[in-house]
Amino acid sequence: MRAVSGARVFAQIVVAASGIALFAGAANAQKQGGSITVGLELDITGFDPLKVGVFDTAAGTAAASIFDTLTYLDDKGVAQPKLALSWSHSEDFKTWTFKLRPGVKFHDGSPFNAEAVKANFDRQKDPANKCRCAFYISGIKDAQAPDELTVVYNLNDPSVNFPAIVTIQSSNWVMQSPTAWKTKGDEYNRNPVGTGPYILKSWSAGDRMVLERNPDYWNKGRPYLDRIVLKPLPDAQSRFASLQSGEADLIWDDEYDADNIQKAQKDPKLTVHTYVGSGAQVYAFNTKTPPFDDVRVRQALVMAIDRKKMSQAITNGLSRPASNPFGDGSWVKCKDDGALATDVEKAKALIKDYGKPVEFKMLVTATPRGRNVGQVLQQFWKQVGADMEIEQVDQATIVPRAFMRQFQLTPWRIIDLADPDPQMFANFRSGSPVALANYANPELDKLLDRARVTADQAKRIEDYCSVGRIINQEAIWFWTFQNTYYALSSAKLKGFPKMYGGVIDVSNVWME
Amino acid sequence: MPGFVAQRLLYLVPVLLAVSLLTFLIASLLPGDLAYVILGDQATPDKVAALRHDMGLDQPIWWRYLSWLGNVLQGDFGRSFRTGQTVLQAVMERLPVSLELMLLAQLGALAIGIPLAIACAVRSGSAFDRFMTGSAFSMLSVPAFLSAILLIYLFAVELRWLPATGYVPFSEDPVGNLRCFLLPALTLALGEWPVLMRVLRSDMIATLQEDYIAMARAKGLKPSRILLVHALKPSSLTLVTVTGINIGRLIGGTVIVESIFALPGIGRLLLGAIFTRDLIILQGVVLFVACGYVLMNFVVDMLYAVLDPRIRHGHA
Repeated sequence: MRAVSGARVFAQIVVAASGIALFAGAANAQKQGGSITVGLELDITGFDPLKVGVFDTAAGTAAASIFDTLTYLDDKGVAQPKLALSWSHSEDFKTWTFKLRPGVKFHDGSPFNAEAVKANFDRQKDPANKCRCAFYISGIKDAQAPDELTVVYNLNDPSVNFPAIVTIQSSNWVMQSPTAWKTKGDEYNRNPVGTGPYILKSWSAGDRMVLERNPDYWNKGRPYLDRIVLKPLPDAQSRFASLQSGEADLIWDDEYDADNIQKAQKDPKLTVHTYVGSGAQVYAFNTKTPPFDDVRVRQALVMAIDRKKMSQAITNGLSRPASNPFGDGSWVKCKDDGALATDVEKAKALIKDYGKPVEFKMLVTATPRGRNVGQVLQQFWKQVGADMEIEQVDQATIVPRAFMRQFQLTPWRIIDLADPDPQMFANFRSGSPVALANYANPELDKLLDRARVTADQAKRIEDYCSVGRIINQEAIWFWTFQNTYYALSSAKLKGFPKMYGGVIDVSNVWME
Repeated sequence: MPGFVAQRLLYLVPVLLAVSLLTFLIASLLPGDLAYVILGDQATPDKVAALRHDMGLDQPIWWRYLSWLGNVLQGDFGRSFRTGQTVLQAVMERLPVSLELMLLAQLGALAIGIPLAIACAVRSGSAFDRFMTGSAFSMLSVPAFLSAILLIYLFAVELRWLPATGYVPFSEDPVGNLRCFLLPALTLALGEWPVLMRVLRSDMIATLQEDYIAMARAKGLKPSRILLVHALKPSSLTLVTVTGINIGRLIGGTVIVESIFALPGIGRLLLGAIFTRDLIILQGVVLFVACGYVLMNFVVDMLYAVLDPRIRHGHA
């Protein structure tokens, strides 16, 4: 039952995924020049947080090249200096102070300084702007700029790992030019200005975005490529054909395109980049509604799921089973996460013991993938004597239904983030709007409250593993598969980093 | 003639009104309230209510339709809540791509269909004719997404003659532009030519049995002249209709083909709007396409009258 010690954890974090092209080692000679074409899944809608709210993965790829963040996550998952050179925190972890890199300029020539960082934050926080992005910074009270190169964030709640949280290239944390959005107005959304290694050269809607090397980039010698072309290639088959024929050098992919990923694994001219992140595909029981008010039913349903079989059925075996909400990509590693093992007989016995018929509805997104997953679960549960009815709903409908607790069982998502606290606290602390299970347990609350104010990572791991054990044993939520991200590239493409948050960051790659 | 045109134009008004009403209803009745879509994971009940009020979604549907129609009549189709682009901007940006694709596809279909139809009509009942009508039938049943992937595999992955995906503007590189359009246009043409061929073939067989053709033969005119000059024009009436109607089918086809070949056209805009729930763009594009279809039929009607004088004089 003992949680793994901190030192061991660090040793284990080294490689989270197989077949990954690790970050530039000394042995690799980075080559300057050249260009690449990246095939993305979606059309990029824009970059103004007030317009697009949050970036999707396609916008994230462009944002990672056009903009910089204060910090970045290195290959071990530790925050490192980028636009910020150093940082410190108050005793209670509620105030974080960042010292900024001097002499950095936005692409439009305006200076990057503390005022700019504050302006980015204030614009998103301002209730009058009604930014959808504001949700993700709701835990931050304000940002202050006491001098040219010092930024202070004051948080409502303590956050021990704040510098890692701000590494994500989301609409909240990339630094945009205040001068640009003020002068360009409505046009700014499609004419973004950052401090990043690449400058937006041209962008024709639905077709291509051309990024040119920023000759004045603060990090001398970077980036390597002269040009990056981003293209939306929505069809999975022709996207892969474009990679095979050399029109694209790198393409976005996901595990539902298992055939092509497995084809690429066998092709010596191609590299499969995989990143198993933290988080998982998750499901929440509403423990206030029968039959889920009885722990035996919840446990039985979880025990009935054979994740290996399920993975085979939906992604040809590519999906990686998850036994806790942290995932291989997280620094939270548990020796014992208390997961209920697949056991059909025991599940049958529990249902029998419950005595009443087990009938319920499960929300499922009305997409081929959603239906597929729903049907597989339906079969597992039928085997143990539980009758699940699939209720197909639109993706956008799931969220309000979840908020209002109008469901018995709903899918949800724990995304890949550098720290477990924001999502664990939101999803499991009683009283939180997305504590979907309607479950209250003082022990669970105590652990969640403590883990967010503890600096010692080993102690936090212990607490989070205890949290995982309680949830698994009480079966208030369950997890099916880990968040696994894929990109396929030409074998000549080097220096591709881990896909934190599913973002394909090509700002530091080179072609051999 | 002007009376005829005016009459037809008058017919267009109720049709277009019906189209706009249907478009609006379809977009409004889609599951997933726009306010939920915009708010995403922050769709708490009070935020939803506030946004619905801001956007006028709490108004009765007929009122929303009338105010939307009023704006449309003033040329304001609305603005995407995701990109901030107006519908008109978005459509105009992508229209040339779709038009070029449809034009090339239609030309391709005609280039395959007409010669084959003539060849079959001349030897009607022969082994060649039976083979061609048979293959036309089987081509008709191959869906565009299948032929597209097969063409990509053959010409882009194996032979590497043509790009699998991508787009180059004509102004930048005319040859490159045509290379990009070759496979998508061919994909669409492969689904279109069988219809054109079969229609023209049967009309042509009928025409070739007319007395004036026998007369022309008796005069000793060259067979090619008889076929292409004397027989083709009177046989092409149905062909014109079908070609016109097919434009509508092609608009549907471009949605799939533009996605597979990553062409930045109207079809992609539509699909993107569906995926991102950008109902304002969706509604605008559907209205635009429907109007295009209706107008195309109007043009076909007019063309019909030009080809056959009996129609414009009301003796049809």
